[in-house]
Amino acid sequence: MEKNRLLSDKLVTTLAYVFIGCFAVACLYPLLLTVSVSFSSEQAIARNGYSIFPQDATLDTYTYIFVNSGTKILQSYGVTIFVTVAGTIGALLITSMMAFAISIRKLRYRNVLAFISNFTIIFSAGLIPWYMVSVNYYGLKNSIWALIVPSIFNVWNMFLMRTYFNAISPSLYEAAEIDGANHFTVFWKIALPLSKTPLLTVGLMYALQYWNDWWHALIFINDKELFPLQYYLYNILSNVNAISSGRIPSGASGNITLPAETVKMAVTVITIGPIIFLYPFIQRYFVQGIMTGAVKE
Amino acid sequence: MRSAANETPAPATARKKNGFFRELKKHHILYLMSVPGLIVLLMFSYIPFSGVWMAFTDFNVVDGIFGSPFVGLDNFKYFFSSGSMGWRVTYNTLFINFFGIIFGILFPVAIAVFLNEIRSAAFKKLTQSMMFFPYFLSWVVVGAIIYGIFSSDVGVANNMLALFGMEPISWYSEPKYWKAIVIAANVWKWSGYSSIVYMAAMVNFDQSLYESAKVDGANKMQQILRLTIPMLKPTIIVLTLLNVGRIFYGDFGMIYGIVGNNPVLGDAVTVIDTYVYQSMRTLGFSYATAVGLMQSVLGLILVLAANRAAKKINDGEGLF
Repeated sequence: MEKNRLLSDKLVTTLAYVFIGCFAVACLYPLLLTVSVSFSSEQAIARNGYSIFPQDATLDTYTYIFVNSGTKILQSYGVTIFVTVAGTIGALLITSMMAFAISIRKLRYRNVLAFISNFTIIFSAGLIPWYMVSVNYYGLKNSIWALIVPSIFNVWNMFLMRTYFNAISPSLYEAAEIDGANHFTVFWKIALPLSKTPLLTVGLMYALQYWNDWWHALIFINDKELFPLQYYLYNILSNVNAISSGRIPSGASGNITLPAETVKMAVTVITIGPIIFLYPFIQRYFVQGIMTGAVKE
Repeated sequence: MRSAANETPAPATARKKNGFFRELKKHHILYLMSVPGLIVLLMFSYIPFSGVWMAFTDFNVVDGIFGSPFVGLDNFKYFFSSGSMGWRVTYNTLFINFFGIIFGILFPVAIAVFLNEIRSAAFKKLTQSMMFFPYFLSWVVVGAIIYGIFSSDVGVANNMLALFGMEPISWYSEPKYWKAIVIAANVWKWSGYSSIVYMAAMVNFDQSLYESAKVDGANKMQQILRLTIPMLKPTIIVLTLLNVGRIFYGDFGMIYGIVGNNPVLGDAVTVIDTYVYQSMRTLGFSYATAVGLMQSVLGLILVLAANRAAKKINDGEGLF
């Protein structure tokens, strides 16, 4: 009996290691594939197909990209960085201010504010009316603001932030209020400094959203100068020859074949580069955010 | 859903009005702090409702939203007519979401339960980081990765098939595989993320239950099946209801990021959301608005129903 139990427990543990191990490898494998192909030579890829180890390891693809379309890629990088930084700062300010207001229990209409926010989650007019007013009334067609303003306030993130503010004891505010501080001062001087981790968590969520956004560009942007990085990649993928059509400067590349396959993967790596480098530091904030959001207040 | 407000009842309208303005004045700074957020909601969620009228007209740019000729329900009728893709895209949406929900429960729950059985902290931390990573990638990047796997000339999938002596498949011109590929990609991207939600629930489990189960001679399998899974049930139900409430919404980014507007694969994976976008360009604004409106209304009904169901199961606690 006892022996059987030990055996079956061992089986469960083994199964756990195998399942988790396999799934984890399945999650990382495609990424390694992408990186490896981006460092391979185009001829080797054409001959042998993709593989997890770089073939004829070379930096040619990256050199090629920066020689032939360096300004385009840097331009897109600039757009993405601007959108991410400006969007995140604006979003954090708007989100935390409203979350703070709703977290104050003596605010009589806070439930009305919460309802106005909640309603937008469960019912919407749909894509087309949204697009019509954005283009006709707000002039967002081919505007950099189209990449920032429509997603600058996320109701989920606001409620997440509110959960954090709710955890702050109101007695901390009261002392300041007795000294004559108004609510904005209390928010700025007391609530925000006490919420550094929540601010980082919600800020990173917004930053990731802006960094990864290409959908707004697909909808609103035709002007190549305003393409964010993700949309630049989207265009390369949907049009294999987008990059080959760039003129090759004489002498720079002689008679190399156009590295279409490796270019796709290299641009992918360039797109996710910052995420890979920051991942070890930012991961725990996302985990914390998900856990806080999952636990209902 | 919470009720609009729980004000103290005022005897006369005049007093009520007075109270309303007095409250605004008293806490004007807090209300002002909500204004930027409210403006964004007004601009991008409430004002668009004025454009819903387009669904009942034959919209043209010259006459504008309210000047275009009224056509009643013609746009809605076309959706259900045999000439349109209406039924097909509804089927695609439901199919992809249904299996997305099923596998979107199975894998994350399995991950959470199995991670709980792993004693090596280093192994746990490493694998967890690996499984969470796909969440950070955009659908365009996932699309690039899928291209790397299924591209006919250089892709990994055909290399594998060749290894087993099978004929290569030209994946990008075979629609029949793509529903499965899209569902798999969704599970791949979200499982690590969703498993964190289940692990958050498991943190609060009463450990003494496991202790007494061990004393009673229960093995690990029995502990998982009789304790862990039943205790995870409320979380599973709530997350499932949330997803069922959104079952008529396709993931635009996922479909366009992976398949783009590849016309060969379109029939198999076009969902309502991408159909609305494509219709805007080919069939006009009015028809696209009508399809989007039907989706929103149906979605609203389902979400409210899911919320009621959640309240029944969860002792009065709704989904939002």
